[in-house]
Amino acid sequence: MPSLPSMSSENNSLRLVSRATHLKEIALKNLFLVCAFVAVAGVLLIFGFVGFRGWPAFAEVGPWSFLAGTEWSPTDGVYGILPLIWGTVVVMLGALVIGTPLAVGTAVFLSEIATPRVRGIVRPAVELLAGIPSVIYGFFGLIILRPIIANFTDGLGFGAVTAWFILAIMIVPTIATLSEDALRSIPPGIREASYAMGATTWQTIYKVLVPAAKIGIIDAIILGMGRAIGETMAVLMVVGNAPVFPESIAAPIATLTTQIVMDMPYAAGMHRTALFGMAIVLFLASMGLVALVRLISRFQTSIEAGR
Amino acid sequence: MTNRLSRPNTNSRSSRAAVLFRAVGCALLGALLLAGTGCGGGRSADTELVVTGSTTILPIAEIAGEMYHGLHPDQKVLVSGLGSSAGIETVSSGSSDIGTSSRDLKPAEEDLGLFDTPIAYDAIAVIVNPDNPVRELTSEQVRAIFSGEIENWSELGGNDKDIGLVNRDEASGTREAFHKIVMGDHPFDRTAAVLPGTGQVRSVVSNARGAIGYISLGFVNDEVKVVAVDGVVPTKETVIAGEYPLQRLLHFYTVGEPTGLARDYIHFVLSDAVQQSVVRDAGFLPVSREEN
Repeated sequence: MPSLPSMSSENNSLRLVSRATHLKEIALKNLFLVCAFVAVAGVLLIFGFVGFRGWPAFAEVGPWSFLAGTEWSPTDGVYGILPLIWGTVVVMLGALVIGTPLAVGTAVFLSEIATPRVRGIVRPAVELLAGIPSVIYGFFGLIILRPIIANFTDGLGFGAVTAWFILAIMIVPTIATLSEDALRSIPPGIREASYAMGATTWQTIYKVLVPAAKIGIIDAIILGMGRAIGETMAVLMVVGNAPVFPESIAAPIATLTTQIVMDMPYAAGMHRTALFGMAIVLFLASMGLVALVRLISRFQTSIEAGR
Repeated sequence: MTNRLSRPNTNSRSSRAAVLFRAVGCALLGALLLAGTGCGGGRSADTELVVTGSTTILPIAEIAGEMYHGLHPDQKVLVSGLGSSAGIETVSSGSSDIGTSSRDLKPAEEDLGLFDTPIAYDAIAVIVNPDNPVRELTSEQVRAIFSGEIENWSELGGNDKDIGLVNRDEASGTREAFHKIVMGDHPFDRTAAVLPGTGQVRSVVSNARGAIGYISLGFVNDEVKVVAVDGVVPTKETVIAGEYPLQRLLHFYTVGEPTGLARDYIHFVLSDAVQQSVVRDAGFLPVSREEN
């Protein structure tokens, strides 16, 4: 036990516990270290594996014709993923446009308007949304929403617009709970000052509170973007999976994640490599979003420090 | 041709899984190495029958094999699905006794001396929404629809309504057969919705008025309307008579006429016990018994 004397000399209070307790402490400390290491190792292993399997897609197809190629036709040996990137972006942006007002509105209601009693009902309900398996959302979209969209658009009902509504509901919990945290972390004095100057509730919300929580809400929206980009099962069931630039928002479309799921069971050779290449693109996109959130948080911290 | 190394099967007590594993390994090895000789695992042609090939036929061959084993406990039928081409390859190289295939022989395979026993019909029905007034299409029209050349039902004598194309995913055997029989050199319209299952195709076509899709005849129900192709409605009679254009035969291939255990097994597959239950349950149509 070489660490024992040094530990106890550093921290005199440790002398007071028995040797067995001390050993237990060390064991637990290492246990938690291993837990943390598993997460880090998992990320590194997955990134290494996906990178190793996917880099030939960039090397052999060529980064430009892979990322900017407009035709995805693996049976003809053509691997251009631009239609899939386009599909991913279209589906994600539409879901954000519908979902963000819904989620921020929910957050404002929960934080500023709802009585504790109402809040006690609404908040668990919103959190429950996050716990519903995505295949249930997809099933709901396929059976209930798709025929409705089909009636309105006179088509099959598969397409970006169906995915927007489903995804919008799915990202509400992410954005709403994080935005609510941001709103609630505003010091009560700011609210009181606004009301004291004669501002109404609405004026206080949109002139004072939302601007004050702006950075936190932007973080929430970015994390919602990540959820929208990565969502697979629910989207797969309602987009129609045609790897093309769609003619309308109600025409079949495919995203990176849905195409990977559709093709993985039978893909071989270069096709499979291209799927891993698509996984690299997804990985980099979500890493970029997380980095963006951290950057914005740091920006905020530096502003507050400068105040 | 069949230069098998046949050591008597000494270990009758060895587990079924191990035997199956070895047999599949033999078949794979044979397929890969194009070996004329069997592998050294050792099996007896009298007690074990190796059936490899089409994944479409796999459910029929497997269930029939289990039923056969139930009737003849001392004889085993080892079934694996490697694809039709692999089935033809392994049976002609001697590493399996029966090669199953959901396609006909290619010209290059015709002089391998293979004997063809058709065991079932598979017909692909073109389905539309029950509200669609169109009752009949030519195979040229079906091709034009699925390649995206015809985009409105009014061009086909129906209502002024956009055609909603429903296709299957590329892993689908039905898609492959449909492509081969109907499309020929024409590619599918890439803007079509791609759905990963027969049931989904049927459900979408049943409630979208402009939709058209294709499914195996065995999966057709009242929710969808089957369109006549080239004037022929797919039914048991028209398919067996060979009148319906979108159909294919499922084959068992043997080297020369089947003998011994292979003959007994094929007879069993062609018997009513299999044809009227297993074949129908799998969504295919039985061949008439006279063809045996």
